[in-house]
Amino acid sequence: MSVTVTGTVEHRELGPGTWALVTEQGETYELKDAPQQLCQPQQQVRVEGEVREDVMTFAMIGPVLEVKSFSIVNG
Amino acid sequence: MRKLVLLSLVVLGLGLALFNFKGLANQGEFDSIVLDFREDIPAAEISEELEAIAGQYNIEPRLNSEFSTSDHVYTLRGDRQLLRALKKSGLKQETEFIEPNYIYQQFEVPNDPDYAKQWNLRSINLEQAWDDTKGSGITVAVIDTGITQVPDLKQTKFVKGYNFVNDGIDATDDVGHGTHVAGTIAQSTNNNYGVAGIAYEANLMPIKVLGAGGGGTVADIAEAIRFAANHDADVINMSLGGAGESKLMKEAIDYANNKGVVVIAAAGNANRNAAAYPARYPRVIGVSALDPADGKAPYSNFGAGVDISAPGGSQAGKILQNTINSPTKQPTFAGYQGTSMAAPHVAGVAALVKSAGISEPEEVLKVLKQSVRKVAEDPLNHFGAGHLNATGAVKLAMRGQISFRDFFRWVRDNGYLNPRFWIDGGVVTLPLKLAMVVGGYILAWLLRNYFPFGWSWSLASGVIAGSSGLFFLRGIYIFDLPQWPFRAMGSSIPELGNAVAGTTSLNPIFASALIPIVLVALLLGHPQWKWFAVGSALGVAACLGVNAVVSPAVSGLGSGAVARLFLVTNAFLCFGLAYLASKGEKQAA
Repeated sequence: MSVTVTGTVEHRELGPGTWALVTEQGETYELKDAPQQLCQPQQQVRVEGEVREDVMTFAMIGPVLEVKSFSIVNG
Repeated sequence: MRKLVLLSLVVLGLGLALFNFKGLANQGEFDSIVLDFREDIPAAEISEELEAIAGQYNIEPRLNSEFSTSDHVYTLRGDRQLLRALKKSGLKQETEFIEPNYIYQQFEVPNDPDYAKQWNLRSINLEQAWDDTKGSGITVAVIDTGITQVPDLKQTKFVKGYNFVNDGIDATDDVGHGTHVAGTIAQSTNNNYGVAGIAYEANLMPIKVLGAGGGGTVADIAEAIRFAANHDADVINMSLGGAGESKLMKEAIDYANNKGVVVIAAAGNANRNAAAYPARYPRVIGVSALDPADGKAPYSNFGAGVDISAPGGSQAGKILQNTINSPTKQPTFAGYQGTSMAAPHVAGVAALVKSAGISEPEEVLKVLKQSVRKVAEDPLNHFGAGHLNATGAVKLAMRGQISFRDFFRWVRDNGYLNPRFWIDGGVVTLPLKLAMVVGGYILAWLLRNYFPFGWSWSLASGVIAGSSGLFFLRGIYIFDLPQWPFRAMGSSIPELGNAVAGTTSLNPIFASALIPIVLVALLLGHPQWKWFAVGSALGVAACLGVNAVVSPAVSGLGSGAVARLFLVTNAFLCFGLAYLASKGEKQAA
């Protein structure tokens, strides 16, 4: 199931660290397979990807969003 | 005949162990000696004595502190040799005692230089637990990103694991998460390097299910759980989670659980009211995270699925272990935070509890939950049963199962092995008494080989009551108080008949199978006290047996063959009684 999520990229210090996408509504997604250009703290982005219900992670911060493509939103 | 030889060997072995046990007094360390002068000695005389010591040994005795003046307590530097010399000197008459000034140490503090930074291990009250067990013989499977054998895992034991990400046996970590988690469980400890781990004598089984990105599939994780269960893991730690409920995974967990594996998982880091899966499954111990102030860590999930809480750290203080640096793969000491760090604290303590003899997962959970430091108000279930307490859990696990080790500890803790009792114990013949207690235990041990039953305090008390009583009490004389109550308490059941009167001949009514028969008849229906009756029958058997050989004086029967025959017959009757009573237990079970 493909979804598009818009929000802010954040680095979360859990274990060795992980990348999160936080929407305006306050929902937190864990970014899976996020390319380097996406992983910039406080960057506003629109990510197209798939929520992987069959994946578990050590970060455990919320739904796992596997990144297919993304674009930077000018805010 | 073979049994007789075996029995003799056991008796001989135990005897040697007892005679060679030097007692606590000879194990302690000291570099000074305490002199306590009698209160009635005038100050001038004390000064003279002190000067004499100073002159003779070239050491200046000093008052221990400014509060020692009235008690006349002095200390002087010296070793065992000086202690012996002083004890032999004329000082003995003028002092209440001359004894080593033992240096008391605070439990077992590991020598790892950064142990001081591990607030989390003090938070779970770990040091005293190490007195009993360090997790030896237990295998903990770490289902995670793999484990790299960093320098501070060099002395930790590993068993074969598996890599479900790349399908192979090499389960090396390429992120650092699994290595850190493994460090909390079993970092090499007391190795003069780095930091400590909780169950550092346990084996680690590295199972890699999470790839470099930190994620893994439910299918791999479910297989990993089965792999661990099939390869003799005792505890599984899963510092991972997700939102999806999976039947496949639930079945794997049930499978492991049915094989006796304790499964532990992190509650999750979304600060959400409900633990993630797998922590949320009913047969998984879900762990929420505490900050250094014992409050809920800001990220920790809570509510449904949280069974217990353990340190996970926060920005105010993280969990420090040896792991690898993610990009460079080089070993490093890193502070992490997360419920991922809390779960391995519980896994480590579960390994200690299992090593202490609790095998069933439900029992382990019960022990963990009952021993927690409770939180008075926890309406949102931030902490589950409460804060993890390692020492409490291990002590609770040790309770109710008396091994020979515990028996010796009990004997030692009660002063039975203190050399003073051997030397000054003129009131009671100690070797005889010990032969009776040990004999009672051997009988119980033999009986257990045929009819397995649990050691319990009631059985142990029965053995003691029947065989020797709290015999050290007999030596107590308190000014003006009648001594007979001490004699009575200090007597075994067979000796009660003559203890009050203070005679040495055994009373044939007490020194027979009569009291054990009455006890068994009265207590057979009670699940615990029954074992007191069985224990007392065994104890009496041992006491009468020893008396028959060593001192067969029975009132009215003399001290010859008749008395011996009487005692031996009754000893056999007692053993037969215990045999029958415990046989009933087996049939009922």
